[in-house]
Order: sequence, then C-alpha cells, then structure tokens
Amino acid sequence: MADLEQREQDEQTEQSAALDSTLPGPTQTGRAVSIARLLHHECGLLLQLYKEKESFLSSYSPDGGRMVSPSPVPQEEASGEQRVERLHAALRQCLGLLHNVLLKEEEEWGEQEEDYETLKKNVRHRLEHLLLSTRGLLEGPDTTLEVTPDHQGTEEPDGAGGLFGLKVWTYRVLLELHHWADHAAETLHVFHTERGGAADL
Amino acid sequence: MPHLSVNPSSKPNCSTVWLISVLLGLLAVHTNANDVLTVPQQVSLSTNMDSQQLSISWVAGAATTFDLMILRTELNESVFYETVSVMVSQLSGRHEWNWTSVEPLQCTSLSIKVRSREGQSTSEWSNTEILQGSDLPSEEEWQMFPLDRVVPVGANTTFCCIVKEGEQFGTINYGNTVMNTTRLSRRSYATTVVNQGLSRTSGTNVICYNSFKELKIGAVLFVGYPPLLSDFVCETHDLTSAVCLWNERNTNLNTKTRGTRHTLNNRTFTLSWSRNPKKECRVDHWEGNWTLVAVNPLGQYSLTDSAELSHRVTPVAPENLTSVAHAMNATVLWQWKYDGYSSLALVCQVELTSQGYKTNHTFSGVDLRAVVLPDLYPYEDYSVQVRCGAQQNFWKWGSWSETMSFKSSSIVPEAPDMWVWMNKDYTGQIFWKPLTRRQSRGLMTGYEVTLWSPGESLQHTDILPPDTFAVLVNLTLMATASSDNMVMATVTAKNTEGVSLPASVLIHLRLTDPDPRAVSQAVYTDSGFSLFWQSEVNTTCAYVVEWHNASCKWNCPVDWIKVAPGNTNVSIESANFQPGVRYNFSLYSSSSEAPELLQRWQGYMQELVPSSPVLSLLTTQEDSDILLTWGHIPLVSRRGFLLGYNIYISSGSQLTLLANLSDPGSRSYTVKGLSEGSYKFTVKAYTSAGEDTGATASIMLEPFTDWLILEILASLGVTALFLVIVTFLCYKKRKWVKKAFYPDIPEPKLPGDWSRSQAPLDVKPPHHSLVHMVERPEWDSSKEALVVIPEEDEDEDGQGIGDELVDTDEQTSLRYYNQVVDERPIRPRYPDSSDSSASSLDSARTDVTYTGIHTSGSSFVFQLDPQGSSEGHQPQADPSFCAGGGGGYRPQMQSRVPSDDMGPASPNPFPEPQAASGYKPQSSWQMDSPVDDGEGRSRASSLGSPTSIASTLFLLPDGEDHTEEKRQPSSSAATWLTNLLSSTKP
Repeated sequence: MADLEQREQDEQTEQSAALDSTLPGPTQTGRAVSIARLLHHECGLLLQLYKEKESFLSSYSPDGGRMVSPSPVPQEEASGEQRVERLHAALRQCLGLLHNVLLKEEEEWGEQEEDYETLKKNVRHRLEHLLLSTRGLLEGPDTTLEVTPDHQGTEEPDGAGGLFGLKVWTYRVLLELHHWADHAAETLHVFHTERGGAADL
Repeated sequence: MPHLSVNPSSKPNCSTVWLISVLLGLLAVHTNANDVLTVPQQVSLSTNMDSQQLSISWVAGAATTFDLMILRTELNESVFYETVSVMVSQLSGRHEWNWTSVEPLQCTSLSIKVRSREGQSTSEWSNTEILQGSDLPSEEEWQMFPLDRVVPVGANTTFCCIVKEGEQFGTINYGNTVMNTTRLSRRSYATTVVNQGLSRTSGTNVICYNSFKELKIGAVLFVGYPPLLSDFVCETHDLTSAVCLWNERNTNLNTKTRGTRHTLNNRTFTLSWSRNPKKECRVDHWEGNWTLVAVNPLGQYSLTDSAELSHRVTPVAPENLTSVAHAMNATVLWQWKYDGYSSLALVCQVELTSQGYKTNHTFSGVDLRAVVLPDLYPYEDYSVQVRCGAQQNFWKWGSWSETMSFKSSSIVPEAPDMWVWMNKDYTGQIFWKPLTRRQSRGLMTGYEVTLWSPGESLQHTDILPPDTFAVLVNLTLMATASSDNMVMATVTAKNTEGVSLPASVLIHLRLTDPDPRAVSQAVYTDSGFSLFWQSEVNTTCAYVVEWHNASCKWNCPVDWIKVAPGNTNVSIESANFQPGVRYNFSLYSSSSEAPELLQRWQGYMQELVPSSPVLSLLTTQEDSDILLTWGHIPLVSRRGFLLGYNIYISSGSQLTLLANLSDPGSRSYTVKGLSEGSYKFTVKAYTSAGEDTGATASIMLEPFTDWLILEILASLGVTALFLVIVTFLCYKKRKWVKKAFYPDIPEPKLPGDWSRSQAPLDVKPPHHSLVHMVERPEWDSSKEALVVIPEEDEDEDGQGIGDELVDTDEQTSLRYYNQVVDERPIRPRYPDSSDSSASSLDSARTDVTYTGIHTSGSSFVFQLDPQGSSEGHQPQADPSFCAGGGGGYRPQMQSRVPSDDMGPASPNPFPEPQAASGYKPQSSWQMDSPVDDGEGRSRASSLGSPTSIASTLFLLPDGEDHTEEKRQPSSSAATWLTNLLSSTKP
C-alpha cells in the first residue's frame, strides 16, 4: 500500500506538470490511459473484495440500467475531445457515487476491514487523478472542467431497503465504477492513438 | 355470580314459597344480565412495528372480561383467541390490551374483534378492525420484514417475505441456509430463525428468492450483546484533569448506528472504534464522582467511581533522559511534562539493563529529576528507563520513560588469573584466562609475561597480543644460572587505560616426581566433580585445583580454578568435560611460596565401556589346562575405571561365562578340566558402564602323551613287580605249589605183551590212564583207537598217590578240557559214546579229540582208587564199563588189536613216539568221580545226553619228561606254570 501511495504522489506530480503544457501530447494521453487502466484494475479488485465480504452478491445480477448517465452524445458523430468530455462527465458522476458509498458506509458501519477501506480510498484517489488527467487532455483557453464529484442525476440508495438495500446499492456502484473505468481506458486509448500515441500502449 | 343460599332449618310450609321466590329471582337476574353485557364499541388499533406490538382498545362499560380474536385476514386463520381480563382505564375510560405478534405486523393484514364475557355469557362480537399489512395489492413490490433488526444472542426472529404481484415465491435464506417457510397470505411467507448466534460485523443477510432463484429482496440482522463494563476508575496525570478508564465487552454491534453510545456524568462522548477492550475518556477537571453509562439497542450498563485527586495520581513518563557516566557510577537525569510535579513527592524506579540482565533501583523525593546509579562496571554498555508513582497515597506506577543508553568509563584491567604447567624437565607453559569484558575494563591491548629469578635478578619479558592466553617457556638456562632453583612467572594485562596488577606463580626448578601422592577417585555429579580434602591446621592459604586429560603427558592444556582459603571442597564443572575421558585433578596450595601438590584425584565425567579390548590375548596349553594371558588396555581406550575381566568360552555363536575376575590387574587365567578339542576364548574387560567388545583367541587342546606313557610304564612296572613277587613266592613255596597244583602223576606203563595179544582187548580201566592223542592224518576213523595206559608209575612212585589224595574231591567230578589241544568248534555229540567218539575221530583234521574222560557210558572213566593206588595195585578195567562201551571210544593201545567193531587195526597205530608212549593228563586233569557201579552207570547214562564238548584234558607227551619230572620236581612246577600261563589264552 505504501508503494501505491508513493506512486500516486508521483503521478500527481507528473499530472501537475502535464497541466502546464497547453496541448496534450502522446505522453499525456498515454499517462491517462495508464491511469484509467490502473483504475479499472483496482475497481476490479474492490469489486472482488466486496463480493467476498457479501457472498450473496456472487449470484446477483442487478437489473435496471446504468446508474451513471452522462449527457448523450452520438458516438459516431462525436470527436475525440467530445468523447473524452463525456467520459469526464461520467467519471465525475462515478466519483459522486463513490463519495456517497464512502459516506453511507462510514455512517452505517464505521471503520471496516482495513484492506477494504484502503482499496476504497485508493480507487477514490485514482478516480480523482483520472479526472484531473482527462481535464488536462481537454482543457483549453475556452473550457473549464470540474473535477469535483457530481451528485446530480446519480441514484441514491433506497432507504426503504434498509442495510440490505445499501449493500445492493454499493455493489451496483462498484459495478458502475468498474464499467466506467473500463470505458475510460478504451476511450482514452482511442484518443491516445488519435493524438499519435502508440497503439500498443 | 350470585350466590344461592339454602337454609335447611326453614319450615316446610315456608320453604316452597321461598324456593319459588329464589327461582324467580334467578330468572330475573339472568334476564337482567343479558341486558347488561355490552358489545365492545369503538375498537381501535395502534402498533409498534419495531416491537411488533399491537395495542387494542375499546369501550365496553364496566365489563372486565373479554374474548379477543385475531385472525389473518386473507386466510381467515386464527392467530390469537383468548379470554382476557381487562380493566377500564380511569383516564381514557377505555379498555386497552397489548398483544405482541410473532411475525412482523407488516407481514399480512390482521382482523381483530372483541366481545364481552361474563361467565358463559358473551356479548356479540364487536366490529372487526383490520390492521392492514404490507401485502395489500396496492403494494405490489417485493418486501421483507423486519429490516435491520438487532437481537441478542440466542433470540428467535421471524422474517416474512412479501412476493411481488405476479411473481412466485422461491425460498428464504438465512445466510447460506435455506429456511422452512410458512405461508401467511397470498403473497406473504414467513420463516423463523431460532437461537441465533453472533452475526458478522456487517450483519447476517436474510434473502428472499423468487421461484427462479433470483435474489429479490433481503434484510440484515444483527445479533450481539448488550454492553458490559468493568474496572471503571478515574485518575490524573497532570494533577488537574481526569482520565477515566474501563474495560468493555465486545458487543458485536460495532456499526455507527447500532454501536454502543457512552455518557460520562451525563455528557455524551464518542469513542473511536477499537478491538481493544480497554477504553478511556478524558475529562478536563477533576470532579471526584463519575458515572459512566453505556447503551446499545440491546440494553445499557452503568458504573460509578469516586476518589480524591491526590489518591489517583499516576505520573506521566519522565521525558528527555540524559546521563553523566563514570567508570563505577552514572547520574541519570530527566524532565517532567507538568510543572505541578515540582511539589509532588515521587518514588521512581530506574531499570538498568546490561548484557541482558536487568536490575531495578528505587529512589524517592520531591521534585525527583535525577538519580545516581552506583556499582557500575567500567567500560560497560547500559540502558536505563524510569517510571514514577506518587510517594504518598501511591496509586500506581506511571508509564516507563523512553530507554536511554550510556557507557561507563574504562579503567585499568583486573589482574589475570594465571597458572603454570611444567613438564618433567625445565619446559612448561604459562596459562592465563581471557579477561572478560568486565574484567578488561576497557579495550585490551595485550599481555606481558615476565620470568625472573629472584636470587639472580635474571629477567625475561614477553609482550603478547590480547588474543594470546598461553606461552611456552624453557627454564633450562635460568635453572643453570639460578642458585635457589626458583623462578617467578608474572603476567599483567594491558588496556588503553594502563597495566593491571601482576599475577604471579613461583616455579620450583627441582625436578621431582610430580605424582608423589596417592590418587583418589573423583565422582562426577550434576554439579560437576566434587572434590574434598582435609584442611591443614593453621593453614590460611588458598588453593588451586588443576585438571587435565589424564592421557596427556606433555605440554598438556590444563584448566584450573582458585579456591578461597578455608574451603575444603569444590565442584569442578567445565563445558570441556567429555564422557569416557579420564581427568587428573591436582590440589595445590596457593601462597607466596611455590605451589605445593596436596592431593590428587582421577575421575570420569561419565564412564563408558572400553573402546578396545585387551591387547595380546594368548592361549597356551599347559598340560591338560589352557592358560589365557593378555595385556593391558591403553588408558585412552579404557574410558572408565576397569573393574575386572569376564572370561567366556565360545560355543557356536554363544558365549558362556567361565569366570569373572574382579581384579583389574589380572593378566592371566587358567582354564582347567577341558577335554581334547578346539576352543575359543573371549576376554572382556568391564567398567561400571559394561563390557567391551572382547578379545578372542582359539586353541586346539592336544592329548597329554607324557602322562599316558607314564601311566603305561607304571602299569607295566607294577605288573612286572607283581610277577616277580608271584614268581618269588612261587619259588619259595614251590613245594606247596607243586603239591597244590601239580602233584606227581603216575606215569602210565605199557605192558610188554601188548603187541602180541591178538585177542580182543580185555580192558580193565585203570584208575588213572594217560591217553595220548596221536595225530595221524592218514588214519581214518576205522583205525582210530585209544590206548589205555596203565598207571604203573603210580606204583613205582608213591608220591603220586599222596598227591592224588589231595585232589580227592576233584576226582568225583567230570571235567573237560580241550583248550590246549583242540581249538576247533565243538561239534554236537550223539548220546552213543562210540558214535561220539567216532564222530570226533571222523574229523579229517583232528586226529585226537581227546575225550580223556568222557561222560558217556562208552567213555573210559579213570576212576581214582585211592586205596588201590596207595597200595600200588594195577588199575583194573571195569567189565561193566567195557560191556557198555563196545565199539565206542577205545584206548589207543587197543588199536593194535582191532576189534570187530572197529575193523582192521592199523599195523602201526602209533608211529610217533608220543603215540607210543601214550598221553598223560596234566595235573589238572579231572577224574570221574569214584562212584559205585550203579552210580557210575547211572551217571554214565545221564552223561550220555548231548553235551557240549570241550576237551578238558591236557594231553602231554610222557616218557622222558615224566622221568625228568620225577627227578626235578621244581622244573616240573615251572613247566606247569608255563602251561598254566599259556592255557589262559582264549
């Protein structure tokens, strides 16, 4: 875990340096792809850990649509920047969901198992870094993107469901995070190749 | 109920009236009662969903007994139907009764109705009130109850699952367990979990699945304990505030909303969650009295404490420890966090650690901030930590301070412990023990060894590095130069601070026997070799006990220990002691003079069996015994004190103990009583640990020929001596012998006209006849004849008569001798004597089988007539004998006159001189017993039966011998003796 934190600090430093540049190059996009992939990996770990905690979830497939729904932009017509911008919006909603999970879990359960708590915080930090990274890819003189959690439009846990409902909702959030992290890795990789980056990153 | 009272003493005329009145009264009462039982009105319901309690209230006037009925509305199943007593509430004027449902009240709709009861009388039922459940069609989604319930360990909980409209119920799982369910309504199903155990931290999931085993709804159940507190005390560290401490049981309800909430003196505080049962809460001011309350969904617990501040002082840990170190002591200083300690009387504990050993020093005083630690070792690393408590009203020790380390200063080292080992010449070694870290007292730089002769002021010094602990010395030169034969060996140690005091040993240069004293055995115990000695009177010297491997003789690595004066025993223990190794221990006096050997011991740490057998086992035959000899076992191989030897003899693979020699000095053993053959002997030495493997030697035991020869020679000598004696005696008693064994026998005489007589032989058997058997191979049986020789000699020599008288008894019996003449197998004889004689004569090989005196009737029996003989009468033939024996056995002399029976006689029947002179029986011949005729006949007839024949007479040639015999009786006796000896041959 110490290695992870050190790596995060390094990435933050690099990210800050990247923000200073006016045009994103292959290095910036490649780094964003790496962060997205790392986030996807950690979201997978977190999901796995949660399913181990609540074993009933292993046979549960939640119905319903996506919890995160950024403004619809036709994929075919969207430019690379638009796709990244849409991704950025979705990631903000994911961050809002994650914040809700952290908050509600802390309210209900207090401090939980150490590895689970650590991994949750890591995912939150990774997601924040990815938001900074995507913002760096898109930000220009005329655009200003937020990196704060977006709670609008995100689904809250059903209070009538009680703690069981909270568990199911948390699981759905983790699934959503895993999905959007994967989507971010793909989108950013496409964007990276469009910007001249190596395809085999 | 009204009482019916009957008075038996009432008058009959009045009783009828009275009875009628009573019956009427009862009827009136009954009619009136129906009128007063009111139907409950205004039935209302209120619920507590968490406690699953239903409160039912109604208005029913003064009635106190009611029937309550609760039904599940949809299935019209009775859940509760009982008669209860309910008093009217004075405040509300209503009747109110509470009922707790097993299932959550939301599970399904319940119908409730009430009626009044008085005895068996009841009112009508009230209107039915319905408590609507959550399974109404309007609530069509999946639902589950109860949600997030917290229950104590061991409780039972019923859950219900309300199925979504249009879907089918599957199962209810408690954790991973599929539960049995009960249907409560069209959509509602329930299950009960009994005796619940602790749940997980995040609760136990109760999940409802549809018929496709799809998870549809669930609830979480928490099972834990109510709070339980103990050991609640409040104390102060800063002399102002209070810190309250207690222990708390883990309730297993650690979530924020279900966790334990605490208040201290009614002030709520929050504890960070921790698995540690020790909890604490800080209060800014000392209040003196405290009440701690802990509450969770399952209950609450409270404890109180009260104390004065001065009684609850627990000092904080001293801070900023420093030290001022010297060689033998150090000052430790620290600071206090709070100024209030400046007026506080404290007792402080200083824990000093050096080389893993801890020592505690206690100090006390007001405003204690520094202490001096005495008795330190120089050049030693120490670590120290301090804690304190209130000196007055001691409550408890405060926390230990941080550990502070320091090192004491160094000084000159201690004098080394030295010893000298001298060989049996002027060479030797000087040893000294390595100084320990504490004895070094600083960084060691080396040792200095000095040899000097006090009388001659000769001195030799060696500087040695610090890792040297022995040096070889040769005192030959000093011995030649020294006049007092004394050399002083001195060793000093040096470190960075200087040189130690010298350690010295005075060495005698006299070459004396180093082992003048008797050696005792030293016994090894758990504490080592225990050595004891007698203290010499008025001796105040110390002692040195030196030991080394006993098998070492030159420049031995020795070890030693110094013993204080006055001691008379010591236990020697060393990690170098090895089992099976003999050690020599020597006790020396240690004084300013040269050490004097006082006593010696030998011992084994542990005795083992000898590692090798005896050397040179030899076997030697000594006469018929076997001598075993062997050599000693080398000291190194003994590995124990030899106790003796066991002698074994091998028989196959088995050893048989012959002897146990308990003398360890034995070197031989003689084995006796063995017969000839091959033997194998094994000699095993033994110690207290047992026998060695043994040495074996073989030997082939030869017969002892010398003795045999000696025995034979001795036997022969004895025999010869006996013969000489017998011969001598016989010679001395030859007359007696002759009379006894060889009386003179009259020589038969042949009448001169024997040749002329052609008439049948008129045989007159003489008393004694000498029959000569003539061997004539050509003579057939028809020609054989016997010649009866009259014993004329007897007449001539009366001596024979006299001799015959001696054997009178013998003449009465018949004897047969054939040993001399005929050794052939004896043939069967016929009863007829002639046949017998003929058969004997038929033998082609034997011309004479003399039957000198045959027992058959046809035999001639030489009857001794003592009287006739003495008178010189011719022996007369007994006619009766002749008649009886015609044609049978005939005297040889008759051969010249052949009888009819015998056929033509040989013209020369006795061609040989012996034959002519006839036969003469030896002295041993036997005569027939002199019986009368009748007797003789009867005997002859009896003797005619088949008889084993063995010729029993010696037929000796007569003639010259006989005459010579007359002349030389002694030679006759000798002849007889010779014959006797020869006759003994089988």
